[in-house]
Amino acid sequence: MIAFIIKRTFLMIPQLLLLSVLIFFLAKQMPGDAVTGAFMGKPNVSAEQMEKIRQQHGLNDPWIVQYGRWIGDAIRGDFGQSFVHKQPVTQLLAGRIENTIWLSLATLIVTYLLAIPLGLIAGRWTGGFADQLIVTYNYVSFATPVFVFALLMLYVFGFVLDWFPSGGSVDIRMEEGSMEYMGDKLKHLVLPVLSGSLLLTYSTVQYLRNEIIETKVKDFVKTARAKGVPENVVYNRHILRHSMLPIAAFLGYEITGLIAGSVFIETIFSYPGLGRLFIDSIMARDFTVVTALVLISGAAVIVGTMLSDIILRIVDPRIRLG
Amino acid sequence: MQWIILVIGILLAGCSDAQSRVVKDLPSFPLDVSNQNPPLDNGEMTVALVSSDPFEGTLSRPFYSGSFDAEIMTWFDESLLSINSDFEITNEGAATYELSEDKRTITLRIKEGVYWHDGEPVKASDLLYAYELLGHPEYAGERYTFTIENVVGMDAYHAGRTNTIAGIRVPDERTIHVTFKEATPSILTGFWSVPVPRHHVGDVTAGELTMRELEASDKIRVTPIGFGPYIIVKIVPGESILLERNENYWRGRPQLQSVVLKTVNEAVVVESLKKGDVDIARVPVDQYEAVKKLGNIDLLGDLDMAYSYIGFKLGIWDEKKKENRMNPDAKLANKLVRQAMWYALDNESVGMYLYHGLRFPATTLIVPVFDSYHDVENLGRPYDPIKAKALLDEAGYIDVTGDGYREDPNGKPFILHFASMAGGDVAEPIAKYYIQNWADIGLQVELTDGRLHDFHSFYELVKSDDPKVDIFQGAWGTGSDPDPSGLYGRQALFNYSRYTSDLNDQLLKAGTSEKAFDTEYRQAIYKDWQALMVEDVPLVPTLYRYELLGVNKRVVNYSIDSRSENRHVWKWGVSE
Repeated sequence: MIAFIIKRTFLMIPQLLLLSVLIFFLAKQMPGDAVTGAFMGKPNVSAEQMEKIRQQHGLNDPWIVQYGRWIGDAIRGDFGQSFVHKQPVTQLLAGRIENTIWLSLATLIVTYLLAIPLGLIAGRWTGGFADQLIVTYNYVSFATPVFVFALLMLYVFGFVLDWFPSGGSVDIRMEEGSMEYMGDKLKHLVLPVLSGSLLLTYSTVQYLRNEIIETKVKDFVKTARAKGVPENVVYNRHILRHSMLPIAAFLGYEITGLIAGSVFIETIFSYPGLGRLFIDSIMARDFTVVTALVLISGAAVIVGTMLSDIILRIVDPRIRLG
Repeated sequence: MQWIILVIGILLAGCSDAQSRVVKDLPSFPLDVSNQNPPLDNGEMTVALVSSDPFEGTLSRPFYSGSFDAEIMTWFDESLLSINSDFEITNEGAATYELSEDKRTITLRIKEGVYWHDGEPVKASDLLYAYELLGHPEYAGERYTFTIENVVGMDAYHAGRTNTIAGIRVPDERTIHVTFKEATPSILTGFWSVPVPRHHVGDVTAGELTMRELEASDKIRVTPIGFGPYIIVKIVPGESILLERNENYWRGRPQLQSVVLKTVNEAVVVESLKKGDVDIARVPVDQYEAVKKLGNIDLLGDLDMAYSYIGFKLGIWDEKKKENRMNPDAKLANKLVRQAMWYALDNESVGMYLYHGLRFPATTLIVPVFDSYHDVENLGRPYDPIKAKALLDEAGYIDVTGDGYREDPNGKPFILHFASMAGGDVAEPIAKYYIQNWADIGLQVELTDGRLHDFHSFYELVKSDDPKVDIFQGAWGTGSDPDPSGLYGRQALFNYSRYTSDLNDQLLKAGTSEKAFDTEYRQAIYKDWQALMVEDVPLVPTLYRYELLGVNKRVVNYSIDSRSENRHVWKWGVSE
């Protein structure tokens, strides 16, 4: 297992390198640069001054030269300076990543906490009232756009019922590090997390339900039943374990999606995270930030799939042997 | 969706309606709040930074770029010199000024009792430090502008040839002399008087830290100080800021005990105002109707310092000479056609239906915010398709093929390409409506590439004088100086129509000459210039706009009137 992890980690390096070249090249193909964005509508700045700043930042060099410079620094852990935010990219990302991790982790946990029982119930009592209800919920949630749903949640629970704060990640008056501070952070997380996870359950529920329906007529389950194993044990031990395989396989992708995929949630709840930063940086042609973020999410994909593989190996003896 | 329906409605209704409708009165908004009660001594106010993005948090005047950072800074920092409603410097601020006989040297004297938030006095050398940063060879911000370049010795300092700026002298810590190369009234509207606390942020000129370290420093992002009415206590990055009363504020004791500024998404502005979550919030145009209905809110509104325009490509930017050059063979070289295209635009309907009446037809290229310089008597070219058609006939553009579109004087097809920016719900309907307007007078206009362009592609096309663009639509924000040469001068890169003329050169020069310190003279010059632009139409100013603020009725002493004493932040309070 350890050899496997080491092997995968080393495989990551060329993958990330290739990704960075690709992203850098594509980013430079976009029209405009950071100077255009920042100076647009500032008629008092002379053409010479703008040219001088382009020179200073090396924006006029061919992309391959810029890439060489960038990768050289990146290997040393310096991802460059954000043109828009005027601070080192690492410092900028460090400030935002905490929120994103909180949000993604909580969303992931809540999604599984909801989806697994629902999938189990729907699969076990197929065609029953509960199943119909769950399947309906699944279709509705699949079809609901996240920004509409998030706004609705915010309106109902944030404004009408006033149960939860309507935006931000924490109340500014909270003393950092205190219990209240943590509690307040959690309170601010509830609505964004629910808005995300209530809509994210569909794939998990659907896969789990289908797997269970398929598995419960398989020979090994029949054998278990014939031996007189109680029905609950049949489900919880034999069927569930087998049905969790595709879920485990998808875990990696779910993590990746969460890192950059919560743009709408972040925007509506004024929750400063990486998703919004990514979109804004693309719009502002703040390339240093864009490349760093793509690398982070690229790394997340690779780590995520590795995690999936590891889990699969633990859960499924057939893979372990192979 | 509702926009699309609306626009189809307008298009179906045709333009005859709009033509016959009398010009409606513009909406008018109060500039002051209605509440007259005395302010609470321990009041707290919450102000929304209405945006879908977190604020950047670069809280230093030389370096910031976001408009929210600017808004945040008004609470804790200020200029040494105050300005009047014409954006000219006055002696009401924390310093007084004197202009020398030859109008080339300004002398600032800082008043008694002006202290930074850490208790240090605000020094003349702190203002000098701002100039040293702005002109520094490594400075990469957007504020190395004309008024900075205009300082004597700035060129040498900016090129790194000298370590000091020859034109700035600090005889004692309360006095500073700044000498300019050229005497121009732009000094009065653009003079930089925001000091930077050298002792707090560190000294780049003494090698204590580098420019990059300063830009990224916690001293301007986490613990910034100023000498304004409120002191920053805490910042949750990108999200909210807590400020408390500055008991040592030089004007007096600020009314509020504390202030919270926080980011609020556009989509929830109405609910936040209604619930009282925020006391003051900028109201997005599409939520105007909803906010109007709220009982607990005063809607204040004033003209915004910006205008939308439609430009005509008349030449190219000469990279060698660094100036604009007109092309006599440009498709729209005939000014009669351009005049006709202005008459064809029904901007009133656009403002009324697509912007709820919060935008209205523009007349000249100097916005009405500049009370003294905007020519109210010049009505531009209001919607008149009949006149437009007559002008095109006169110019020889006649429909010879009978397909409903005019051909050029040689009988060749005359097709114009229109570049317009994507963004917001109304971008597409507006572009389509203008194309319809031009079709009505027989001009065939098509979108460049058949679609709208995003911000960067749009400006790439326009800036590089791409032949795919004959007409382009954009918007300009105006600075505090009425001088239009940054946008329309011969050497101005931003003069995207590439229009030049000798008269234009003369007027722009006269408008910033030493003689133009005389307001009446400058008014006359700018009146002529506005008339010239209406005559030559290098671009059409299309819409002026209102900016709206929703203010909770518990707010007192609050005004957006540039003449009111209550425009000052320290006066604002809340009652209960």
